[in-house]
Amino acid sequence: MKNIRDISQRIENGFASKGISKFSYTLVEKETRELNAENGEFSLLRTLFDNNAVLTAYKDGKNGTVTGNDFSESGIDDLVASSVASAEAAIADPAHDFAPKQDAETFQQGVCTPDFGKFFDKVKDLIQDIKVEYPKIQIMNIIGEFVSRHVLYRNSNGTDFEGTSGAYGVTLEFSGHDGDKTTNLDYCGFETIDLDTRLIDQASVRYHLDNAQKQLEQISVTGKFDGNVIFTPECFAEFMMFTAANYLSDGTILEGTSLWKDKVGQQVASESLTVCLKSSDSRIVCGERFTGDGFRTEDLPIIENGILKNFMISLYTANKTGKPVSKNSSRDLIVESGSSSLDSLVKATEKGLIVGGFSGGQPSSNGDFSGVAKNSYYIENGEIKGAVSEVMINGNLGAMLIDIKGITAETVQDGGMVVPYVCVGGIVVSGK
Amino acid sequence: MLNDILKIKKSLFADGVQTVLRGQENRNRRVVFVNGNLVANVRSESRGVNARVCKNGVYGFSSMAEYSQDAADAVLKAATENALFLNEHAPKGLPAQASYGRGIVPFHKAIVDFEQKRIIDTCKIIDEYVAKTYPDLVSRNIVYTEDSQDKIIYTSDAYDGHVTNPRCYIYVIMSILSKDNQPLELYEVFGGSGSFEDHFKDTAWMCPRIDNLHKKLVEKADGVYAQAGYKTVILGGSLSGMLAHEAVGHTVEADLVLGGSVAGPYLNKRVGSDLVNMVDFAHTALGQEAPLPVFLDDEGQLAKDAVLIENGILKGYMHNRESAEKFNVEPTGNARAWSFSDEPLIRMRNTAVLPGKDKLEDMIASIDDGYYLVDTNNGQADLTGEFMFGVVMGYEIKNGKLGKAILDTTVTGIAFDMLKTVDMVSDTVSWNSSGFCGKKQRIPVGLGGPALRCKIMIGGR
Repeated sequence: MKNIRDISQRIENGFASKGISKFSYTLVEKETRELNAENGEFSLLRTLFDNNAVLTAYKDGKNGTVTGNDFSESGIDDLVASSVASAEAAIADPAHDFAPKQDAETFQQGVCTPDFGKFFDKVKDLIQDIKVEYPKIQIMNIIGEFVSRHVLYRNSNGTDFEGTSGAYGVTLEFSGHDGDKTTNLDYCGFETIDLDTRLIDQASVRYHLDNAQKQLEQISVTGKFDGNVIFTPECFAEFMMFTAANYLSDGTILEGTSLWKDKVGQQVASESLTVCLKSSDSRIVCGERFTGDGFRTEDLPIIENGILKNFMISLYTANKTGKPVSKNSSRDLIVESGSSSLDSLVKATEKGLIVGGFSGGQPSSNGDFSGVAKNSYYIENGEIKGAVSEVMINGNLGAMLIDIKGITAETVQDGGMVVPYVCVGGIVVSGK
Repeated sequence: MLNDILKIKKSLFADGVQTVLRGQENRNRRVVFVNGNLVANVRSESRGVNARVCKNGVYGFSSMAEYSQDAADAVLKAATENALFLNEHAPKGLPAQASYGRGIVPFHKAIVDFEQKRIIDTCKIIDEYVAKTYPDLVSRNIVYTEDSQDKIIYTSDAYDGHVTNPRCYIYVIMSILSKDNQPLELYEVFGGSGSFEDHFKDTAWMCPRIDNLHKKLVEKADGVYAQAGYKTVILGGSLSGMLAHEAVGHTVEADLVLGGSVAGPYLNKRVGSDLVNMVDFAHTALGQEAPLPVFLDDEGQLAKDAVLIENGILKGYMHNRESAEKFNVEPTGNARAWSFSDEPLIRMRNTAVLPGKDKLEDMIASIDDGYYLVDTNNGQADLTGEFMFGVVMGYEIKNGKLGKAILDTTVTGIAFDMLKTVDMVSDTVSWNSSGFCGKKQRIPVGLGGPALRCKIMIGGR
């Protein structure tokens, strides 16, 4: 079955024939063209045609979800039957639900018709630009892709959202090499609809390439000290995702282990910190239009001037806990910029690091984290002294957000986030 | 299980190119109880067909979410066109890769499906046991997860076969409050290769390990922060397995060697003490079936063991056909793909440090001031061999005896430096097979190792 509306009709007929009057489902048709270059040479061209269906059936207060990609008539019938069987096997829980009726909406985002020939040339130029401008960079991988999607969401309350989207994406993995010296792997990526600007000039590509070359000359940090850490935008975004998982999301709110579970309206971070999920922001490429629960996506303030405004929870967790549902299930992250410059943050640091990556996994439930500072630089008396390796940072997520020393005006925009450099205090730095 | 509808398409493979046609179905089952609430009840199946075509050293690939002969025709055509496009616009001009034999690999293990109700009921029994036995917990999670791959592979110049990789696990996750009212978490994993019935026909066998998990969590609640610094430690089998996979394994994947990994210049050179031996096992390890056996890879190569380190000397890398050609060796059958829409990449299978002769108790007794690091929850490493492992359970060692438990921390080091400090190796290997490795795609991997005495950087206060 090739028409998404025909598939939709078959699903609803299938539910009706099985006596199911409460259901929701999402259908996605996706096409990808992907260029791969290894070690600076094109190696692979892929064309992928994929589907995805997520069906949830509700019966007697119980629900079951199935996912599949077979859009044939028999495939759809199997999915319907399987979702009903799963629902029958479940345990009744009225907290499982989905969004009420909302006005129908169709949307179109990004690039409708890709210019793959031009994109191929741009990726080719990117490889050549790196070879010419960054001779000490060894490119391990470049992946350039154009992904288009056709999405339909419907539920039995009458909500109907349908949309198409398309965007180019580029990811790079590379390292610095000079004789026997090799740096850590560095990587960056972005989504874009702009094929006029050189790819090397988009998002933070140049910062990362510069960084990999600078990391070739390293100094040692010995001993242990309490200091400031200036997180690069990508690294701070990673810590914001840790914050979401530890304090704000379904898991810890439902379990009751979040240390912020009763802190909406209270100070949880420095007054200088404002964070929101803002899918409508023009700097976000193909932002979310509806949530997994079927709500039309709204911008969601998380922290405003240090005050916790909202959790990031599903309707199920909201129903279980009595907290408001989050009408944004994206990671379209905006951290408001400040007034500092990176240079001024460095000058104000007596002893500390610029940290470009964190290798340490998810912090503990209590917010404690410990890991290796990757792609990082040592700062002493307001000056960058050099690149470092084998340096660990230890701290606490909640305490760190309270102790923000400064936020830059400069941001990185990679199509999925807009985030500045953020300097925090009270981090234990330990060298070998 | 997939029916073989692809054999007839082998006659359509184009001349002058090397072709692999693969039909595949992935199944997943997931049931999650949080504090007694059934929060996830999901079944999924994705299936399709793909073709990969190699022309003069460049590849074309195409996949379609449909397992049919028409879809096979379409992906063969699109993959060939993609290979010809790159051969025209970015030519490499390489000769065809060598063939290492043709044949058919026999079917190994059936994938058996079970009703969702059976899975839910089993998780509920475990949840009720934990809730009743341990009322001091602030939260409990019971997570059932099952994934399986069913593949039919046809090649132009290698082996064909029908291969399956079923595995299933139950995670028991507990949280308790520490002495200063902070939530602390630990988990235990049960299961392995095979289907539900192979592991969870009954659940009574799990109870002693659940009890031990709670015991460790209580010890942790009274734990102390590790002292940061360069310390003598014993890495338990869980961490030495992580070391084998993350810190060494990735640096000796041949595509990463070509990408500039630190292992490039070290072939046939010393990278560890004489006690260090490491192998990526294909299907049989230390006289038994490996945790996640691989008999045929996704390029149609017979999978064989890749010896990585022998008596401290780096002996070899893991290869696909392309990298084997570049290094003038035979492929090891490490080319693996996760879903029908993924191309095969060089991936590990069952990577392990081999056992030594020491007893764990002697190793603990040999340390005056250090740590015994027991459980890890994650690890990462770099092309330089710089690694990081999370440590979620461990103990102080004081004067040759175990002391207080420690709170969550991390350890780090440079693999080829740290391996030279290994001076004791225990005689028992423990395996873990529940995780995924991420490298463009995810893939199930097994990792294992004995306890190692070594020096390492530990994070802490």
